[in-house]
Amino acid sequence: MPKQVKSPREIAAKETKEILRRAIRFALETESAAVRHNTRTFNRSRYRATGSLPDYDALKDEARRIKEHSLANRKALIQQLSESVTRNGGHFFFARDAREACQYVQEVCKRHQVRSMVKGKSMTSEEIHLNTALERAGIRVVETDLAEFILQAADEQPSHIVGPAIHYSRERITALFRRKFQTDLPLDTGEDLTRFARERLRSDFLAADAGFTGANLVSAECGSLLLVESEANIRLTCIAPPLHIALTGLEKIVPSRREFAPFIELLAASGTGQPLTSYTSVFRPPLPVPVVDFRGAGPATREFHMVILDNGREALAQDARLSEALYCIRCSACLNSCANFQVLGGHGFGGATYSGGIGATWEAATTGQLKLARFSDLCTGCSRCVTQCPVRIDISGLNVELRSRLNHLAPLSLTARVLHLLLGVPSVEDASSQQVFFAHYDRVAHWGTVSAPVSNFAIKIPGARWFLEKSFGIDRRRHLAPFPKKTWVDVAGNESTAKTETRQGPEVLVLADVFTNYGAPQRGLDAIRCLRAAGVRVRLTKSLPDGRAALSQGMLETARIQAQALSDYLVSENAAGQRLLVVEPSVLAMILREYHNLLSAEASAQLQNSTSDLVEFLSRYLAGEAGDPRVIFDIRKFSPGPKIFYHAHCQQRAVSDPSITVEFLQRLGFQVTCSQVECCGMAGSFGYKKDFYDVSQAVSEELVEQWEAAESANGAHTLLASGISCIEQLQGATGRPVLHPVELLARLL
Amino acid sequence: MEVVGRSPEAVRDAVLTKSSGKRPILIAEPRYISPDYFRSLQSVERVLSHPRPDDYRSAPVGVTDAFAAVARTGSVCVDIGADIAGYVSLLPRLHIVVVDIKKLVFRPSDLFQLEPFARPTFQEDFVFISGPSATADMGPLVRGVHGPHELHILVLG
Repeated sequence: MPKQVKSPREIAAKETKEILRRAIRFALETESAAVRHNTRTFNRSRYRATGSLPDYDALKDEARRIKEHSLANRKALIQQLSESVTRNGGHFFFARDAREACQYVQEVCKRHQVRSMVKGKSMTSEEIHLNTALERAGIRVVETDLAEFILQAADEQPSHIVGPAIHYSRERITALFRRKFQTDLPLDTGEDLTRFARERLRSDFLAADAGFTGANLVSAECGSLLLVESEANIRLTCIAPPLHIALTGLEKIVPSRREFAPFIELLAASGTGQPLTSYTSVFRPPLPVPVVDFRGAGPATREFHMVILDNGREALAQDARLSEALYCIRCSACLNSCANFQVLGGHGFGGATYSGGIGATWEAATTGQLKLARFSDLCTGCSRCVTQCPVRIDISGLNVELRSRLNHLAPLSLTARVLHLLLGVPSVEDASSQQVFFAHYDRVAHWGTVSAPVSNFAIKIPGARWFLEKSFGIDRRRHLAPFPKKTWVDVAGNESTAKTETRQGPEVLVLADVFTNYGAPQRGLDAIRCLRAAGVRVRLTKSLPDGRAALSQGMLETARIQAQALSDYLVSENAAGQRLLVVEPSVLAMILREYHNLLSAEASAQLQNSTSDLVEFLSRYLAGEAGDPRVIFDIRKFSPGPKIFYHAHCQQRAVSDPSITVEFLQRLGFQVTCSQVECCGMAGSFGYKKDFYDVSQAVSEELVEQWEAAESANGAHTLLASGISCIEQLQGATGRPVLHPVELLARLL
Repeated sequence: MEVVGRSPEAVRDAVLTKSSGKRPILIAEPRYISPDYFRSLQSVERVLSHPRPDDYRSAPVGVTDAFAAVARTGSVCVDIGADIAGYVSLLPRLHIVVVDIKKLVFRPSDLFQLEPFARPTFQEDFVFISGPSATADMGPLVRGVHGPHELHILVLG
């Protein structure tokens, strides 16, 4: 039984797997309800806001280009900014690390005899632990962003980069304020709590000797800051005290104010899901307006200090495989669209400052300690965040890279070596036995299949699941599908000669991906039957691993070897350049999204151009053909009826368009309700792992609720899902059979 | 938001209606509409153009002009780098802002593109104001945090 967590601070630095386990447990038990509510509200708002941006994709491209250009020219921009700040009458300081930054701010405060400082929300100041440093120097630091105000009262680290206290429900805030402030004032509604904080803080604003802010962006050309907020605390912090200190990372500098433009709308839409937040300030400090003497200290002149922080950023910029993380504009779209983050928040899925998938790289870079990126294990690689990132950062790719580096911190164990021997695969890189087991799923499944039914019997022997859990961390509560006696390739080989082609449609190659080949051979056959019924001429490939399983374990070398072997095979097999169709979305996404990192540009581009989702291909093909597809696929043959509840695979939504499948099904006469969740929670091997089983289950709850809501409103629905692990997850969670779209279509033949 | 006539009296009446008797009213000298529009207002009792620190602490209403309005985001752009508009638009609970319809652009980026051609449309120091100060940090959405609780935009039509 893990030790009880008393404060989130204890689990902030996730140096070991044990701390990560405790953090997950703590987050699920204590903070999950508030986090779910808040992140999902943000997430829905974001979809609405980005959907109404007239040129969302073009803005993203522009933002990405600006970030690429700015980072590439960072040295010149830093120099130019230092000149602009000085020209404006401000002071510039470049801090190489946290210590230098804190020391500089301390010294400025000391020079001005600062007794109290009001502070706007700044993750960068959290990163360098500025408050602790200033308090040590005898300065009273007042956090004025209401979320930071809560965290300061509670002494906790942020759980989200935009809403640092999203793990607090209204009720918990009331209890905290009662305890902390010993007040009898009404604190029972959001209005009460806000009024309480406002009245307390208003006098702090007007009495403060110094104001401290971060910056969303800084213009090198003119020294202007971009500051985005809604509470007006930043505006007050910048204008009320005579001294303003702004701290930000070197990655926030852009050439000029003109480059602020795309970010202004993108930040608001991607973050809180608004057209704009209440206040977006653009100004060149020190403000050229008099200081109103609220303090009664006599006339004062304004002074401004711009502190630009390195603290690991320069090293990150030089790290070719991780440098993309520096494009982050801290909008939190990736956090809110992450199914795991939605149930955990940043105390479970995050470090001392930065949270979620993007946070792992940031924690490692700014602390210089790779082991603090351990929470990257919570990234399943579903890539939903990648499509939501306004600067198109490949966050799941960053986490694969981190996982690979973390794997190399520990040498290959004896068990893992033995496992390699048993599976008959060479060991090419460090990994745990669990990772080796999952990465070589094809070999495990191969032995399971050739030894079936003995293997299926063996798994039922008492103690077998205990053994699997102990050795490979496969949670014993998880249902394991029995191995088939014959694989897809085996059975298709027997069938293909029996059928004669009736029409002269296009000729395609169908990939016998390892998951369908070993896990669902009948589904594979159904896929071929559907294509043939539509007149498509089909050839099935050999079943070779594509590298997805290895990649998700961070075993990059293994993934590369597998991807290369599959690519070589496909080149030799597919001289005619036929379209390659894939049933399993995770394999499709592997080829379309990941191969460019693993293969030569030419090989990956060729595969990218020729590979499609099988059902989408079929839908498109029949839509383009003369005649009614209902002649081939007759809904009347499907006795459960026309109502469908469809969950499209997370990675499928990143690389292709599930609405094509939906429209096709509708054309056949089905009434389709789609799930509105980011991921089912299984995410390949993730949900099978003992450490993550509870997270996976928590994630699935929303999907199940949506299905139940559809049924209670409209009666029984047939469950449909497009990925093998989504199907497992849904079957496990609902106790009902779940079909793949090709299995549904095959029943209409 | 409402459209008001192009006369000092219309502006005065609209401001007084919106402030529903609350006093004092702080006003910042307009720069992007003719100063004449605020003349009638300035002669009303307890309307202050030169507030002292205590007036900022207690005044419930602030009136400023704006140099631009943004249609898509419902924003007004207030110059905070001149005079006292930065304070007047921030400290009172009610902020009334007067903007000329001719200064309307479609979206925020238009302002940045207009820059070389339309000075002084684009100011050095400004804030896009798109609503009253608000927070979701205390549970439900609450309007009225450290800045105004209410925002009224008067458009000179």
